[in-house]
Amino acid sequence: MRIRVAIVLVAWIALATFPQWSSAWESSRYVAGIIRQVLIFAIFASSLNLLVGYAGLPSLGHAAFFGGGAYAAAIVAQRLGTDELLVSMGAAIAGAALLALLVGYFAVRAVGIFFLMLTLALAQMVFALAFQATDLTGGSNGFSGVHRPALFGLDLSAANDLYLLVSVASLLVGLLVWRVTTSTYGRALVGVRENERRMRALGYDTRTLKLSAFVLAGALAGIAGALSAYEFRFVSPNDVALGTSVTGFVMVLIGGAGSLLGPILGAAVVLLIERVLPSELPAQTVLGIVFIVFVVFARQGIVGALRRVARA
Amino acid sequence: MTVEDALQQALNGLSFGALLFILAAGLSLIFGMMDVVNLAHGAFYMLGAYVALSVTRATGSFWAALVVAPLVLAAVGLVVEPLLLRRLRGRHLDQVLITIGLALVIADFIRLRDDWGWGATVRALPFPAGLDASIDLAGSAYPTYRLFVVAFGAALALLLYVLHRRTSVGALVRAGVDDAEMLSALGVDTDRLFTLTFATGAGLAGLAGVVAAPVFGLQPGMDVDALIYSLIVVVVGGLGSLSGAVAGSAVVGPADTFGKVLFPQFALALIFAIMALVLLFRPTGLLGRVRIGR
Repeated sequence: MRIRVAIVLVAWIALATFPQWSSAWESSRYVAGIIRQVLIFAIFASSLNLLVGYAGLPSLGHAAFFGGGAYAAAIVAQRLGTDELLVSMGAAIAGAALLALLVGYFAVRAVGIFFLMLTLALAQMVFALAFQATDLTGGSNGFSGVHRPALFGLDLSAANDLYLLVSVASLLVGLLVWRVTTSTYGRALVGVRENERRMRALGYDTRTLKLSAFVLAGALAGIAGALSAYEFRFVSPNDVALGTSVTGFVMVLIGGAGSLLGPILGAAVVLLIERVLPSELPAQTVLGIVFIVFVVFARQGIVGALRRVARA
Repeated sequence: MTVEDALQQALNGLSFGALLFILAAGLSLIFGMMDVVNLAHGAFYMLGAYVALSVTRATGSFWAALVVAPLVLAAVGLVVEPLLLRRLRGRHLDQVLITIGLALVIADFIRLRDDWGWGATVRALPFPAGLDASIDLAGSAYPTYRLFVVAFGAALALLLYVLHRRTSVGALVRAGVDDAEMLSALGVDTDRLFTLTFATGAGLAGLAGVVAAPVFGLQPGMDVDALIYSLIVVVVGGLGSLSGAVAGSAVVGPADTFGKVLFPQFALALIFAIMALVLLFRPTGLLGRVRIGR
């Protein structure tokens, strides 16, 4: 256990200081940008993994909370005329959690495939709102000119500062997810996944349990959304769209649902395919085929495949 | 809104509903038989529209496209089902996930086929000759093609009903929807039945794509729109039954059309509100057998 913690800490420190120790390398800035994006999507995928991997809720509408958080951060910062991180991040978390409460209220009534359909359809409603509320969101043009944040007046707009912010955020979210999944609450979620009727018979209010997980996952996705708004200085309906939900889902499944490391690996693989692969290759086609191959042959994702290799 | 406007919008709602029926029937059929929500249904619809575009360009005839595109999509279904879905028999959620991957691949394929005149730009399919005019209806001009869509949807519903209720294939389908395992135990080759079901569903999606193309045009994103609308229709009407698809499209089509006219900002919110209400008070959908909510 202690060794594991030490390994994670060392790995995190190495990652968090990447811009510093790699600065001599000419691609350092480019790679740091990719790592930032991987970490942002790793937060997003980890939050979705709470639902897909632990609670057994296959949500295909998670982008609603990612994009919802991004819009909340951007709009609140602009309307209040502040760059304060705590304000915009707070707005993102609160906004995403509220949205998740609304969507989840309906969605957790359904199970399995129906849950998937409902989350998809309800998230599309959030997309439609983002698309149509032009005064607030900029509509199809998106919301451009998002400011990079400052913490207690300390400017964090430089690329390296943003890098540090994203690293710290991903560490905190990672620790939180770890804490949640190893708690009795997390075990209860797994219980719901494995056998909801038995959990109900044991006296658990499974609907509230599922709704709380849905809201928590939504709030964490909101954090990823706010970071994405800072990163790209731009929020668009794309961030709320089905494509982003699918991307998150693909990340979780390729990496390995129900494991802490899985979504992080998944985010890295998907972004490598989307952003780093030579542009002649059709990225979405590659992604679709990779996804199908994983569903058919390695349902437990990269982590599951590695475990199988380690055991053999 | 004057009486003429209301009549015109009612007809628009009816023709949109007819289109939604063609679209949702295939999704519902596949679900009823195989317990799989085909999330590539929108992509099949889109592919149907683009195939129709190419066929119309090549032959100059919309009617040729109306026959060829559904057949092409049925062929796609014939290949996809045994190749991908059959290996995951019994793992319903994984079968659904596979269709997500399939949808990604198909949409990307269409986007990249600039050389076929497809690609990422908006394309239009002209109205077929003879149906490109308007007729006088209660004092205002109304496009005949939309009336054709209503008639076509109604005829298809009737045809499917007869097939479903009065033929031996229909009996097999009904039995499969009821209990596929038992059907298999009775010696029916359910693998073949599933493949045919999936192909028929894909063909219906393609058919909807052809019929919709002259009205709504062809563009990236049409796959997602179609998927969402068909999901709403089957949730409202009830999954897995033909009458559910009829009921769902009869509610959603007019509601969406009138919503868009009366309060354009909240049109989508209206049909989602209908969906939410149905889920809260009739979790099986209006006419469904399968409980969606609990």
